[in-house]
Amino acid sequence: MQAVQLPQRSSAPMVFPRVGMLTSERWLIGVHIISALFALSFGILMGPFQTFRRAPAFVHAFPEWQIPVFSYYYQALTMHGVMNALFFTTFFIVGFSYFVTQRSLQRPINQTMGWIAFGLMFLGLGLILYAISTNQANVLYTFYSPMLAHATFYIGLVLLAVGSWVAGAAIFMTYLAWKKEHPGERVPLAVFAIIVNQIMWQICTIGVAIEILTLLLPASLGFLFVTDVQVGRALFWFFGHPLVYFWLIPAYVSWYTMLPTQAGGKLFSDSLGRVAFIMLLIFSLPVGVHHLYADPGVSAVSKGIHTVLTFVVAIPSFMTAFNVGASLEYAARKRGARGPLGWLFRQKWSDPVVVAQLGGMILFIMGGFSGLINASLTLNIALHNTAWIPAHFHMTLGGAVTLTYIGITYWLLPMLRGRALFSNKMALAQVWTWVVGMLIFGHGMGTAGIAGAPRRTDVGMSPYLNETATFWLNSSAIGGFVLLISSILLYANVVGTLAFSTKPYDYEPPIAHRGDPNSPLWLERWGLWIGITLFLILIAWAPVFVESLNFVDGFNAPFFNPARPSPITP
Amino acid sequence: MHIDELERYWLIAVSVTLGVFTAALLASVFIFGVRLPSPVGRIDPTDLANTEFAEPGLRDMGNGQYTAHIVAQMWNFMPREIRVPVGSEVLFNVTSRDISHGFFIEAHNANLMLLPGQIAQVRVKFDRPGEFHIICHEYCGPGHQNMFGVIIVEGPATAGLSE
Repeated sequence: MQAVQLPQRSSAPMVFPRVGMLTSERWLIGVHIISALFALSFGILMGPFQTFRRAPAFVHAFPEWQIPVFSYYYQALTMHGVMNALFFTTFFIVGFSYFVTQRSLQRPINQTMGWIAFGLMFLGLGLILYAISTNQANVLYTFYSPMLAHATFYIGLVLLAVGSWVAGAAIFMTYLAWKKEHPGERVPLAVFAIIVNQIMWQICTIGVAIEILTLLLPASLGFLFVTDVQVGRALFWFFGHPLVYFWLIPAYVSWYTMLPTQAGGKLFSDSLGRVAFIMLLIFSLPVGVHHLYADPGVSAVSKGIHTVLTFVVAIPSFMTAFNVGASLEYAARKRGARGPLGWLFRQKWSDPVVVAQLGGMILFIMGGFSGLINASLTLNIALHNTAWIPAHFHMTLGGAVTLTYIGITYWLLPMLRGRALFSNKMALAQVWTWVVGMLIFGHGMGTAGIAGAPRRTDVGMSPYLNETATFWLNSSAIGGFVLLISSILLYANVVGTLAFSTKPYDYEPPIAHRGDPNSPLWLERWGLWIGITLFLILIAWAPVFVESLNFVDGFNAPFFNPARPSPITP
Repeated sequence: MHIDELERYWLIAVSVTLGVFTAALLASVFIFGVRLPSPVGRIDPTDLANTEFAEPGLRDMGNGQYTAHIVAQMWNFMPREIRVPVGSEVLFNVTSRDISHGFFIEAHNANLMLLPGQIAQVRVKFDRPGEFHIICHEYCGPGHQNMFGVIIVEGPATAGLSE
């Protein structure tokens, strides 16, 4: 018992307007969503043009066709990957996480920290855009050593990571303060998932931070001239796989905690949702070696261990399929769906917010199954680094994640502006063109990959493409064209909503203020879960680093500017 | 914690399916002998002249067995072309002189990352005559899309075509 009575802090919850936003909320979340859409506009437009560049029929029909950046395949691909996968996602996730945390817990995020985080991330975006658009960073979004980009590229990445750490700290602080005031209560499922996501992010970014701060940044500044490529790849993929769950969890937040209400029902099981998120935390880190199956410096034993753990990390997604599927079935039956499968068709097909998420799920079925194939270490030999791989992650990141984020944008952006979405019909057309375009693109790329077309290669003029691969790459350019139309529809609606919409906004976002009291409280014992996570990381990753570090010779691979076949020397 | 009966069945079905997948993978490794790239040795990429990669090329080990040493560099493979008779088994030892490259043989299960400092190894049996490309599938700079090699498997069908 404390002897001194501290002044009682007001625990009156912060009141948010039911429809509409507080000014502080509008600004802080608004800048994140707008920055995300700004970053995405660079990345999304590069995409279709790369499918054209990769289609031999197109390149032969228009051999003189050159648009700056767009037609320079590796520069455009770096822009596409970095903007879509790193900046669009991170800005969106931070903004959305703030929104959900503040509204669910009815407590504000620390505004100073929020703005510092945003400033860092936005400065990072500026530096990276400079480095890529001036052709000084054609290293793709994986920036593998010993290829070296301009220092502003790495500084931009560091600022993005540090900004996201500050944002995560602000979210943790809000959660802990809530916890103190609500002992014994379950945190709402949405915030539970966001805490999982931030913990995972803070742990996994350590890998890439070490890679950038000890190897790449010193080299780009001229202090370091040798590296070890295998160690660099291991550090990157320590981060690279949790990264995909960092994108996916916010989409799951929407599927679990918003979509059931949006679809007209309720969530089937809150507790198993929590179990799924905890499994994602524990098992998304010790699986990264499944990106290194073809690497010569990692033993087959490590590859086998990571394979089994990758299968385990598929389980929470199967659980999600059941839980969200059951919720959608419940909603449809409430509206009068009959028969065993009638509910599949009795969804709210006129609501773009719902349809975008359902479209994401359709693509995620393809993404999930192709992912299990990739994870199978011996099947991977037929597919590693072929066009099959981007086909896979355009179903997951380009499908489930992006379409769900777009679905969220279709209610969040109008809420920020205080006006209804500019056009529901345009939004529906956007979603369906996206689904169809991605399916055509993914099928073309996947089949071309099985036929031997490499990924991340300007293959339009390549001397080695066989006929099968050529045919299917041409078909994926049709998908690219459909996606170009979809992207234009998306941005027309964004601009329309911000500038031309006159209808009032009347949509209440589905936010729960408390968790299901039947959910077990032990699921919130974070110390335990972090401990298990760190233990599994140690078991799964320590051997990889020990076997890939060269203790005899040290580092001996010189750095290269990708444009020149001669090493960078002191 | 309450778990719905149907969901319990679902979880069991998922676990069994993934268990079967794992068993199939173990079978592919231990029964069917599919080998993954594994550490075979390190090398100084700046000093290949003093290693087994000093003179890349194909060596006939007799009995239909061959050993090939191949060096990948921006933006070609050395040697660019290899000829073997149909039915031969080739042990490829490959490394990179500069940055990361890839090594993918069309229509055969050969898929390696080539990293400077690491020797990558794969054993491939060539049962069908024909020309198969070795494709660099890892981005390695502006000439990447033109980086490839050829394996010519000479057999009854192509014997007349080769010089």
